[in-house]
Amino acid sequence: MNTAPIDTWEGAEAYFTFAHSPGMISLILIASVVVTFGAIVLAAVHEKHAYNNH
Amino acid sequence: MEQEIAALTERLAALEGGVAMSGTVNMEIFYWWCTALMIAIHAGFLAYEMGASRVKNVLASGIKNILAFAFMVPTFYFFGWYIYLAFYNGFIPAEDGAAGLPWAESMGPNLADNATGVFWAAFTLFAATTASIFSGAVIERIQQAAFIILAVLLGSVVWILGGAWGWHPTGWLTVKFGYHDVGAAGVVHMVAGFFALGVLINLGPRVGKFNADGSANVIMAHNVPFTITGLMLIIVGFFGFLGGCIIYMPGEQWINIYGQPATLSAFAFNTLMGFAGGIIGAWVKTRDPFWMMSGALIGIFAAASGLDVYYPPLAFLLGCFGGFVVPMVAVWLEKRGIDDAVGAFPVHGIGGLIGVVACGIFASGYPNVEGYPPVSLTGQLVGALTMALLGFIPGYVASLILKMMGLLRVPDHIQEKGLDVVKVPVKAYPENYIPGPVGTSEPTATPAE
Repeated sequence: MNTAPIDTWEGAEAYFTFAHSPGMISLILIASVVVTFGAIVLAAVHEKHAYNNH
Repeated sequence: MEQEIAALTERLAALEGGVAMSGTVNMEIFYWWCTALMIAIHAGFLAYEMGASRVKNVLASGIKNILAFAFMVPTFYFFGWYIYLAFYNGFIPAEDGAAGLPWAESMGPNLADNATGVFWAAFTLFAATTASIFSGAVIERIQQAAFIILAVLLGSVVWILGGAWGWHPTGWLTVKFGYHDVGAAGVVHMVAGFFALGVLINLGPRVGKFNADGSANVIMAHNVPFTITGLMLIIVGFFGFLGGCIIYMPGEQWINIYGQPATLSAFAFNTLMGFAGGIIGAWVKTRDPFWMMSGALIGIFAAASGLDVYYPPLAFLLGCFGGFVVPMVAVWLEKRGIDDAVGAFPVHGIGGLIGVVACGIFASGYPNVEGYPPVSLTGQLVGALTMALLGFIPGYVASLILKMMGLLRVPDHIQEKGLDVVKVPVKAYPENYIPGPVGTSEPTATPAE
């Protein structure tokens, strides 16, 4: 999988992984947002569970 | 007219000289403060190890950690820097490495060389970091002399040989395979973690860690808040560490250790995103603050090899993955009868492995310089295998020799008594406001689902 948007450093600007692929950027961004907020949901579930056990 | 041109030329030359010297001095200042920040890594490891020890061993653990740092400095001067400069082709030293010999002109105050001292200092702190990583794994049962020998072997020989091979502009791993590891996930963390694993196999567990049936007891840290604070201090120090991983080029763009263009901004984005991801991943998995802060380190290592190129949310996801997975490796290791007191092998060895391999998966195709191969999964796998073996074999063999000589392990009856009362002339808690020794018990908090 070639993730690099550049094949030479000459004149390179935004060179981060998948910078040439809006689809992959969207996918990674959405996944990171889901993980961030999903973790908060999991925290709420865990906390409820912990309170019910004590 | 000619006189005016000559005067202007002279002034221009003076200005150019002033700008160049200003850049050189700024470079020196940058690495000076990176080195100072890296000392926070050692303050952190000191707190972390002492907190993780039981009351009866607190000061012995602290002494061990401090001595690792102290012995690293002269030994890295004697031969560590030479190894880095000379052994980039493998095991045969190159002639230009002579600049790192302790009697070379550049290895002391020299007005024609502003760079060697600050680079040597930064690399010495990298070396001391590897020793501190190893130090935590072996607390409460390793003999002091054996520890110093092993720490020097790791910090001033083994890791820096890995650095010469894979963290050097012309190291053979880079030249032949395009190995990419800008944040030293492999050359520092994998090497140190696998070295620790090799030693742990010969050292054996702390007395009381395992029962006769092979089941494990939890040996509680005597001060968990101290340990967590220590881990946060290590994170602070890592900003110096990672700053030391990028090359300041006066008057030009930054470059990474391989000579490819890079920015400190790239490091800032991805270090923080990996850090945060690691905490969240470990928190979801364990709910344990010790593992959350270890997760922060794991997250940084998981993103470290490609810190210069990753899309920041990708670094975050890599950090989450590492933080979630690595605690499971710690459990797996314990089930195999290996007592890694602070999780050094899972956190650094496996965290670093994730970082190196992830770079092959997610950063394949990035061009190299000087016609060397681009980043590839094959190159990263070769690098990961090299770093694992380079760490494990010397750690295992050297500790086996020390074990055969009776120099490795503190006798069991001394472990039971406690190391502080036997060999430290002062008490950690003379007024006994923390009762000790602390016993073993199972945690009672609700675990993660």
